[in-house]
Amino acid sequence: MARILVIAEQRNGKLSEATLELCKAAKEIASGLGATPAAAVFFKDDSLAKEVANYIPEVFAVVDGKLGAYDADYYAQAVKAVVEGQDVKGVLIPHSYDGVDYAGKAALAIGAGIVSNCNKATVEGGAVVFTRNTYNGKIQEQKSVKTDKFVATFEKGAYDKEAAGGAGSVTAVAVSLGDSRRKIKEVIATMAGSVDISQAKVIVSGGRGTKEKDKYNDVIVNLAKKLGGEYAASRPVVDAGWTDAARQVGQSGKTVAPVLYVAAGISGAIQHVAGMKGSQCIVAINKDPEAPIFNIATYGIVGDLFEVIPAMMEALG
Amino acid sequence: MKIVVLVKEVPDMESKFKIIGDAKIDESQIAFKMNDFDEYAVEAALQLKEKFGGEVVILSSGPERVTKEVRQAFAMGADWGIHVSDPQIDEGDNYVVAGALVKAIESVGGVDLVLTGVQAEDDQAGLTGVFAADMLNFAHCTNVVKIEVGGDQKALTINRELEGGLNEVLEMAMPAVLTIQSGINQPRYPTLPGIMKAKKKRLDLKKAADLGISALGEAGSKTKFHKMYFPVSEHKAEIIQGDAKAAAKTLVDKLRNEAKVI
Ligand SMILES: Cc1cc2nc3c(=O)[nH]c(=O)nc-3n(C[C@H](O)[C@H](O)[C@H](O)COP(=O)(O)OP(=O)(O)OC[C@H]3O[C@@H](n4cnc5c(N)ncnc54)[C@H](O)[C@@H]3O)c2cc1C
Ligand SMILES: Nc1ncnc2c1ncn2[C@@H]1O[C@H](COP(=O)(O)O)[C@@H](O)[C@H]1O
Repeated sequence: MARILVIAEQRNGKLSEATLELCKAAKEIASGLGATPAAAVFFKDDSLAKEVANYIPEVFAVVDGKLGAYDADYYAQAVKAVVEGQDVKGVLIPHSYDGVDYAGKAALAIGAGIVSNCNKATVEGGAVVFTRNTYNGKIQEQKSVKTDKFVATFEKGAYDKEAAGGAGSVTAVAVSLGDSRRKIKEVIATMAGSVDISQAKVIVSGGRGTKEKDKYNDVIVNLAKKLGGEYAASRPVVDAGWTDAARQVGQSGKTVAPVLYVAAGISGAIQHVAGMKGSQCIVAINKDPEAPIFNIATYGIVGDLFEVIPAMMEALG
Repeated sequence: MKIVVLVKEVPDMESKFKIIGDAKIDESQIAFKMNDFDEYAVEAALQLKEKFGGEVVILSSGPERVTKEVRQAFAMGADWGIHVSDPQIDEGDNYVVAGALVKAIESVGGVDLVLTGVQAEDDQAGLTGVFAADMLNFAHCTNVVKIEVGGDQKALTINRELEGGLNEVLEMAMPAVLTIQSGINQPRYPTLPGIMKAKKKRLDLKKAADLGISALGEAGSKTKFHKMYFPVSEHKAEIIQGDAKAAAKTLVDKLRNEAKVI
């Protein structure tokens, strides 16, 4: 029977959560198609393959000294080898930093259409229909592939992780890897900073809508102080140098879960939301009633943050 | 160093979106601008040119309108450009568009670097750069936040952004495709003399036939579009009504007495 194959992902020998989430996606899609779910793990030994087998019934272990760390060329070659050798119909890859780096290449290598950045998949009339965010999360679209095989990348959190009934099988697959054009020198930390916003009970976060550094300080920093909390920001604010990188919330910044998170002038892009959706109470202040941030907020005010925040300061007394 | 920068025009996301027939957005309501990530790519190319010499070529596929963004890149300092203009290409998926852009890159010849944005704000695919690299048989790296060029101007040392504030530092040889992440630099504003010069810079127009492209439109695509719609959220916020003053007062009251979080 054809297989729906998850490509596992690891950093420093630790599997990503997204890998385990995709095991559930593979089971759902496979059951809709009458296929079987499986995973492929590329690593320097088979330890991680055994771990993944707790989440999916069949695991292919590609073991090679070259696979200790992620590499685009090796991954594309390994995906091609497993897909061609093991009757694979669909390939599921996390839409993560590594996933984005090779998924398109892997799709071309196996001649498959790819739908990237998906948040859902359903099987309709024997075809898999993928749902994905577009226009910075304002619009959803549905797509499928026209090719016999498919590749899809999924947003983190699209599926829950779910252990399998028992340990699955682990089968070694021999792949002869060619060359890679990239050579990793080192991995470095770049966001070190004195402040740790992840400990704060209250966070007031400002986005591009705060317009400029002085205004950001004026509204966001002051409201944070008034509430006895920390101030934070979306990525564009950090990119523009209005505040430190250590205060960035999101996929490439900090993950926070305070009691209260105020998002002002932040649209609610998935990469931002990834870092704050666990907050207990979320307040969104945005002049655009269609901003996606309102879809996850507890309370919302549609209005100009430069009017709303001073009014909040006043109401707080 | 010869650098091609791929520039896409996208809607300003604060525009009022209307969907026509589940299939497309009503463009008459939309203001267009350069994809944010591409502005960083243009700036990165200009900085490399300032250091090492050479030329910066802007490449964009889309309707007549996109010449505005190409000229914006010219005004920032890019040298010349190619406008790939063919509805048959625009109707295709990322695979078709990447294929067309690759043909245009090949027509430039002797390209050392191709820079793209990490993703387009409209389709959020993050595919074009990786596709282009594979089709050109160039090495590539995505989510680039730092570029250093080695002494012989053939070697690159690159920082690739990873999750949790980490960077992977890696080395590779040119030619290469790099997808540029925001924050790598501070894109410059076009100057008035820059804007004046931009009007006179060379902009070649290419149709699918000029580029010898066979994969076109829906037929050439590997994916199929079904429909688009506004997301329906089960968790839509409680929207507090009233003018700023009244709403702020109600909000503070709710945070104190209902949510009990302050
Ligand atoms: C790989 C990758 C990683 C990323 N990592 C992160 C990350 O860690 N964190 C992050 O935040 N982003 C991240 N991003 C960027 C993300 O995709 C968005 O671009 C970003 O979150 C947008 O920030 P924003 O909401 O501040 O700006 P915008 O999306 O531009 O939104 C600004 C908002 O302000 C509103 N506004 C404007 N003026 C006013 C006013 N006067 N009053 C009220 N509202 C106003 C507008 O209506 C709009 O909704 C990442 C992107 C990629 C591709
Ligand atoms: N039509 C286009 N014209 C020029 N460049 C494009 C086009 N589409 C995509 N790109 C480039 O590819 C990047 C990624 O786009 P995407 O794969 O659509 O997310 C963009 O940031 C642009 O640099």
